[in-house]
Amino acid sequence: MLERLARPFADAIDKSDNFPKGLFEELGRLGYYGLRYPEELGGMDADCTTFTIFAEELARASMGLAAIATMQCLMGTDFIYRFGSDDQKKRCLIPAIQGEKIGTIAFTEPDCGSDLGGIRTRAVKNDKGYIIIGRKLWITNGDVADFVTVAASTDPDKRLGGIGFFLVEKGTPGFSVGQKIEKISARGAATVELIFDECQVPAENLMGEEGKGAQYLNDILSEIRIMIAGLGLGLAKSAFSAGLRYAREREAFGRPIGEFQLIQEKIAEMEVRIKAAEFLTYHAAWLKDKGSLTGKEAAMAKLYSTETACFVVDEVSRIHGAYGLAEEYPAQRYFRDGRFLLFGGGTSEILKTIIARDTMKKSDFDIT
Amino acid sequence: MDFALTEEQQFFKKIITDTVDRMVVPKAREIDEKDEFPWELWKDFTKLGYLGLRYPEEIGGMNADPVTAMIFYEQIARGSVGFAQSVIMNILMGTYFVYRFGSEEIKKRCLYPAMKGEKVATMCFTEDQSGSDLAATRTTAVKDGNEWVINGTKMWITNGPHADIATVLATTDPSLGAKGLNFFLVEKGTPGFSPGQIIDKLGCRGTVTGELVFDNVRIPEENLLGAELNKGVEYLAEILDEVRVMTAAMAMGIAQAAYDEGLEYARKRIAFGKTIGNYQLIRAKFADMATEMEASRLLIYSAAWKIKEKLPSRLEAGMAKMFATETCLKVVDEVTRIWGANAFANEYNPQRHFRDARFLLYGGGTHEILKDFLGRMLIGKS
Amino acid sequence: MDILVLIKQVPDPEALVEIAAGGKSLNIEPKFATNLFDEYALEEALKIREKHGGKVKVISLGSAKAIEALRTAIAMGADEAVLIEDESFAGSDGYNTSLVLSRALEKETFDIILCGRQAIDADRGEVPQMVAQFLGLPHVGVVVKLDIADGKAVAESTLEGAREVIEVALPAIFTAQKGLNEPRIPLITGVMKAMKVQIPKLTVEDLGLAKDMAGPDGSKTKILQYLPQKKRPAVQFIAGEPQEAAIEAVRILADVERVI
Repeated sequence: MLERLARPFADAIDKSDNFPKGLFEELGRLGYYGLRYPEELGGMDADCTTFTIFAEELARASMGLAAIATMQCLMGTDFIYRFGSDDQKKRCLIPAIQGEKIGTIAFTEPDCGSDLGGIRTRAVKNDKGYIIIGRKLWITNGDVADFVTVAASTDPDKRLGGIGFFLVEKGTPGFSVGQKIEKISARGAATVELIFDECQVPAENLMGEEGKGAQYLNDILSEIRIMIAGLGLGLAKSAFSAGLRYAREREAFGRPIGEFQLIQEKIAEMEVRIKAAEFLTYHAAWLKDKGSLTGKEAAMAKLYSTETACFVVDEVSRIHGAYGLAEEYPAQRYFRDGRFLLFGGGTSEILKTIIARDTMKKSDFDIT
Repeated sequence: MDFALTEEQQFFKKIITDTVDRMVVPKAREIDEKDEFPWELWKDFTKLGYLGLRYPEEIGGMNADPVTAMIFYEQIARGSVGFAQSVIMNILMGTYFVYRFGSEEIKKRCLYPAMKGEKVATMCFTEDQSGSDLAATRTTAVKDGNEWVINGTKMWITNGPHADIATVLATTDPSLGAKGLNFFLVEKGTPGFSPGQIIDKLGCRGTVTGELVFDNVRIPEENLLGAELNKGVEYLAEILDEVRVMTAAMAMGIAQAAYDEGLEYARKRIAFGKTIGNYQLIRAKFADMATEMEASRLLIYSAAWKIKEKLPSRLEAGMAKMFATETCLKVVDEVTRIWGANAFANEYNPQRHFRDARFLLYGGGTHEILKDFLGRMLIGKS
Repeated sequence: MDILVLIKQVPDPEALVEIAAGGKSLNIEPKFATNLFDEYALEEALKIREKHGGKVKVISLGSAKAIEALRTAIAMGADEAVLIEDESFAGSDGYNTSLVLSRALEKETFDIILCGRQAIDADRGEVPQMVAQFLGLPHVGVVVKLDIADGKAVAESTLEGAREVIEVALPAIFTAQKGLNEPRIPLITGVMKAMKVQIPKLTVEDLGLAKDMAGPDGSKTKILQYLPQKKRPAVQFIAGEPQEAAIEAVRILADVERVI
């Protein structure tokens, strides 16, 4: 379905780097933003596997659209779902599920990416609630968001233990959108600066409890990582099929280049890795649905799938020869989009240390 | 073995590094963003005289040996790949056959001005259906009286619309395959010679790349650039190794530019209380990058030296090209990872190096072709 | 006109510098460059030659590596160069450096001597003045404009917040300040000439100086210790209303940090 709906617009979204309003609203009308949420709220009560399939298909069509839509489905709305008051749900969550309002999450700052405990955005308690002061950067959908879930610290000395998430709605005095980052990857999903200049929010806008923010994020972190693994699969498969088509059609030295061994090698390696990534990803999703997922499996799925995607888009660009450079062909868009996957949900470097630290404590492969 | 550059070569390296830093580096981002031929920089830079790098002093060149030339290619690519592409065209591929086979009249009209940057040169080999497979060239050259008539369409031509002089690969007889190929000089303004569609590119922006159409283009017989007919492939072999090593040198230029960016970032970006240069995984990246860049440079200079000494260099040139390119691709990839999300912001340089490096995969031969060719050389006839 | 230029090869501004254990010396990454202010001096010399004719000769006191700086000067267009190279001069301070340079200059005929206002490694800015003293010449410092005519020079110097215009009879020494000119980029013909040129060297003996005048023994000052820079706090709050705070910010940038 996404093939028909979104794929024809992928290049245009990439070139213009504009928010794809029409497509966004269409997905809302079809009910996809409620995938993970209960039917009572207008959702589909879908399991992790289903959601991952959705992420994969989105990415197969357009990475920009995928970034926007997955934000809407998960990170941008989940805190309101879990901790929001009925009023907040009515005002933000329900419309978001219907695609009428746009949500996003803001934790990254200019000096703080992997190191969440080092954020400088402060939330200072006062008699009216909290004042949010700080700057966020790289916020997906930030320029069009109607509401933002903002990570701010009530006690910086506690680092991770001082973080809380706060709901800030568009129109709140002091909350504004800063610069938009021009980028080469996941274009269409604007990543912008958000400025919180003494933004007063009521006490009830604290999502959950003070200082528990990192834990709350951790609760959905595995799901985020599996979702991104799904995005990786979508990109990899899309690029792979483009490469395959080229290898079948392009001729040199009298025959299709796919008949030459070195090209065959690429095809074989890509296919095997994509299959492996698929298994790792959907196995992790299945474990989640069963209730026995550990953080490590999610990290492994994300690591492997995104690295596979980057491998595939590189090889596909090589198969295309000089046409891998031409903007007219999608090979270069896939190539650029791969970069985005390397950071969202944790860089490969961070993930490797997470995985290893866990394994050092206990491993499936320990000899007892 | 003396691996050192001579004092003269070291001095040349210092000068050209400074020159590129002052003139080219500050313009690199603009060249990439505008994606137009940088006429102003071209005028300023060509005044310095470097376009005559490889040609004899007697005609106003520098008579640089291949090793010295590689130093130049690396630095100019480090400055700006888009600009470097145009520069190297005038220095080598776009002018070589004119230098080698052109009459004095032709040299006066084409070569000497090209060496001063007064004329833009390019070479036209690739066609829509023939990149690696030169034998599949369909552009024809038919003798008619004392003229040649050229017909065909070339593709992926650097600076086609701006080129004042074009060295065109055409066949006198398609059925002869590679044995029918020749080089012809076609000058701007010749009726029937016109630019076609322009290709928007991911990287190497700053050169205008596209189609060139030859529609019954008539050129005088002296415009055949060759002592004998149908020896095009042999003549190409004269500079093929140099072109490959040059590509390898450019790969190091791009790698160095990216590497320096990575170094700066690793030294100042803080995460979890320290600069990221303190973490093993980041340190490992630098160790790997530096090792492979060092190995690449040794291959490059060894191959260049062999060319200089007129020793067989086919194998080494191919090795240098592949290894240096793969190294460069790894370096630009790792640097984008070191930079985190900032790597894909247009505002910073790592994304430009990441995009620019791709052309290395085809310039001078794709790696698949090279591996097959070198493997065959190594294994021998069987 | 005979124009002499004194240049110094210094560590590259981007070279990493560390204080060695013990604090008595520095570990500097071996990347070198011509002192920036000396480039302005050389460029000015070349411009004077272009306008008035004559010869530009470049002199440097340094290690063998400093030949590179002299070659660069030739590439830019200097006619001659000479290196004063002698192991015994490592560790000299401004005093005996000036002494050596003066002895070398005494052997030359000159109308103008140009130097950079200071070397960016030691940042003392004392050698040109001492050389002037040794040679009994007038000296004008931090020059941003220099006009020569009829055996006289009119120079403009920068002071803090003002400019000084000085007329002086030649021969004289001038030190170059940023803003004097934009150093030219060498043409390939200059580069080729510089690659082949043989640069003569002078030693202490050639200058008629005893070895004990060299190095730390002949210096008038002695470096006792290198100390790390005090770490400045990352943030400095400027209190007050925006109007006042802005004025204070500009004052700090101009007078304290000296970045504007």
